[in-house]
Amino acid sequence: MLPIKYNAKNVVLRWRSTLATILGIAMVVAVYVMVQALAVGLEKSSANTGDPRNLMIVRKGSQSESSSIVTLEQYRSLLYSEWIEHDANDRPLVTADVLTLVNLPRREQNGEANTTLRGIGPMGKVLRPQVKLVEGRWFEPGKREVVVSKRLAARFANFDIGDRFKTGPDWLTVVGWFDAGNCAFDSEIWADSDEVRALFDRDSYSCLLVRPVNAEGLTVLTKLVEEDKRLQLLAKNEVAYYREQTMTATPIKWLGNFLATAMSIGAILAAMNTMYATVGARTREIGTLRVLGFRRRTIVLGLLIEGMLLCSIGGVFGCLLALPINGYATGTIGFESFSETVFEFTITPALASQGIVFSALIGLFGTLIPAIKASRTPVIDALKSL
Amino acid sequence: MTTTTFIIRNALRNKRRAFLSAMSVAVSLFLFVTLQVALRELTIPPEDIGASLRIAVRNKVSLAQPLPVRQLQVIEKIPGVAAVTPFSYFGGLFRNESFTTFAQFAVNPNRFTNVFVEAKASSEHLQAWIKDRGSCLVGLDTMERYDLKVGDRMLLTGTLYSADLDMKIVGTYQGTLDDRSVFFHHTYLDELTEDPGTVGTWWVRAASAEVAPQVIQSINSAFENTSSEVRAESERAFQMGFVSMWGNIKMLIDSICSAIVFTLLLVSVSTMSMAIRERFRELAILKAIGFRRNELLSFILAESLLLSLLGAVMGAGGAAWIFHYIDIQALSGGMFVYFEVTERMLGSAFLIAMVLGVLSGVVPGLSVCRMSVVDGLKTLD
Repeated sequence: MLPIKYNAKNVVLRWRSTLATILGIAMVVAVYVMVQALAVGLEKSSANTGDPRNLMIVRKGSQSESSSIVTLEQYRSLLYSEWIEHDANDRPLVTADVLTLVNLPRREQNGEANTTLRGIGPMGKVLRPQVKLVEGRWFEPGKREVVVSKRLAARFANFDIGDRFKTGPDWLTVVGWFDAGNCAFDSEIWADSDEVRALFDRDSYSCLLVRPVNAEGLTVLTKLVEEDKRLQLLAKNEVAYYREQTMTATPIKWLGNFLATAMSIGAILAAMNTMYATVGARTREIGTLRVLGFRRRTIVLGLLIEGMLLCSIGGVFGCLLALPINGYATGTIGFESFSETVFEFTITPALASQGIVFSALIGLFGTLIPAIKASRTPVIDALKSL
Repeated sequence: MTTTTFIIRNALRNKRRAFLSAMSVAVSLFLFVTLQVALRELTIPPEDIGASLRIAVRNKVSLAQPLPVRQLQVIEKIPGVAAVTPFSYFGGLFRNESFTTFAQFAVNPNRFTNVFVEAKASSEHLQAWIKDRGSCLVGLDTMERYDLKVGDRMLLTGTLYSADLDMKIVGTYQGTLDDRSVFFHHTYLDELTEDPGTVGTWWVRAASAEVAPQVIQSINSAFENTSSEVRAESERAFQMGFVSMWGNIKMLIDSICSAIVFTLLLVSVSTMSMAIRERFRELAILKAIGFRRNELLSFILAESLLLSLLGAVMGAGGAAWIFHYIDIQALSGGMFVYFEVTERMLGSAFLIAMVLGVLSGVVPGLSVCRMSVVDGLKTLD
């Protein structure tokens, strides 16, 4: 086998001609990593949501909380179940939420978008310990007050503490900001459940969130809800419910894969061009190696390693180029919620290594043909060439 | 040998490289055009013929908030209103699909064609639809895609409403820009949901383009300070409201496009200079036998332009050709419908190719011009 040092030195030696290839591949990998970071961020935000001890109850057939309906009777029929945990004051840990979409202007006159206004019951905060108030105070029921996610507040006008916004016939005042630790609740506005029902003239709630007494209670309650034909409801573990809300990420992944495929074809062509040129310039050198007794397949392998090395440098460079975007908050329309979904570009180590493996593969395919061609040149011709 | 054949032969002397260079330009421009088409489709929805007269009326809170049915009488009486129909999005799932692939709307069949004038259905189909409350009118595209016939059942599982639709297909329509939707009786929906009091939106046709702005204003002010304030806007503005919800996606695609163009530039310039450096000696000979600098430069420029334009023809032209023939609707699961390559996009693709060709020729070309004949003759490869 040819020493790796030989290949490494060759890459460095012809740096001028290889630089363009490296940069080209770096751009391809950077674009791939950035687009996939969007999809990863979206999925992570929904996978982050919820408490594994909680049970979510929604209408059968609904695809999101906002299109679910739970009537007052259904709520009452479940409220007094013995399988539901109670707090220190003996109140059941149940919240009946109501979700509604509110169209509001973005900051900097950047158009309007739907936002999710969630009315929560008195236990709503207790059941979702991951949501923490970071500024201001919690809303007081009946006073037309709301708290908004800090991340959402960065994107919408009138979301600073003390600001008011009009929706329906009423004005709502923002009294606090919360941080839900980068999950689905970070795209929401919270207010009191019954107040929201009154504001928007709604007879029923959207969904229920309950805390069963224990794991057995969770199973029993799930079965109970499922099997009661009159209820027509569906019970699901809260974490699992949100994890499955990933429709929005699908087209982004599709875009990422499409871009990766098309751009990698271009990158393979570029890598081929470079490798043809490097191999062409080294015909005599390769001939010499053959005379020294290196076998064809050794030479092919050596060149393949060289090509992969070259392209991996591009891959690493591309990941570095994409890295600054990690953690950058952005938002787009969520397909399930039909409202603004805030999330962060997330570059995981797995995604970065995918990018580098991807670049090495470009190197492999780009080098294969030129390498085989070089190893097939008859030794005498190779030595004679200038 | 004429100058033209000289240039062509030079460009193709290394066929492999010429192919690779042109192909890498082609792939990148193909991608560029594809992204532009996608972006256009997402951000600038195409306009129907009747769009300038049509007005969408939704709840001011958001599209998800219903409107009271009593508003109909008020809207009808507003001067300049030619027709109005309730219009409620059902969002049902067809067969075992996991997401909605075509829209279904509950409308008033008697008024429907007065508002959506471009939807053409035979009067026989239309009459059958109006007569039967459990029937629906289905767009021709959906009929063909699912291989449906008039007389078949249309079963839809509700996602937004806790009701499932079971309807008979009595007719088809075509002529709108998106012949995919299903239209059915609003009374049927009211009956299923036991809620005759609300509708999703109102769609209005103004009598003329001149009065349309006035009609919009009148509708908005008619419900001001009521419990259901409305937002009336032109069909265009209504569509742009959806576009606005996409948020930063436009910026994202724009930056991807620039990244592609930049990469393209980098790679082509380097390939082209490789091709030129390889024949420094030969160019020096040309110089020695009396060719002038600007002649050499124009040979090189013409050669690189030839290759990059060839790439543009393959890439941008190929994209236009492919998108014309493939069924993008089926391929993207209904997300894209037209996927049309405009002249403007072809224009910018060719412009990029031109700039590319000039830049990748000028950089190595200038170094050829600067070199002395003796140095050039001395170079070995």
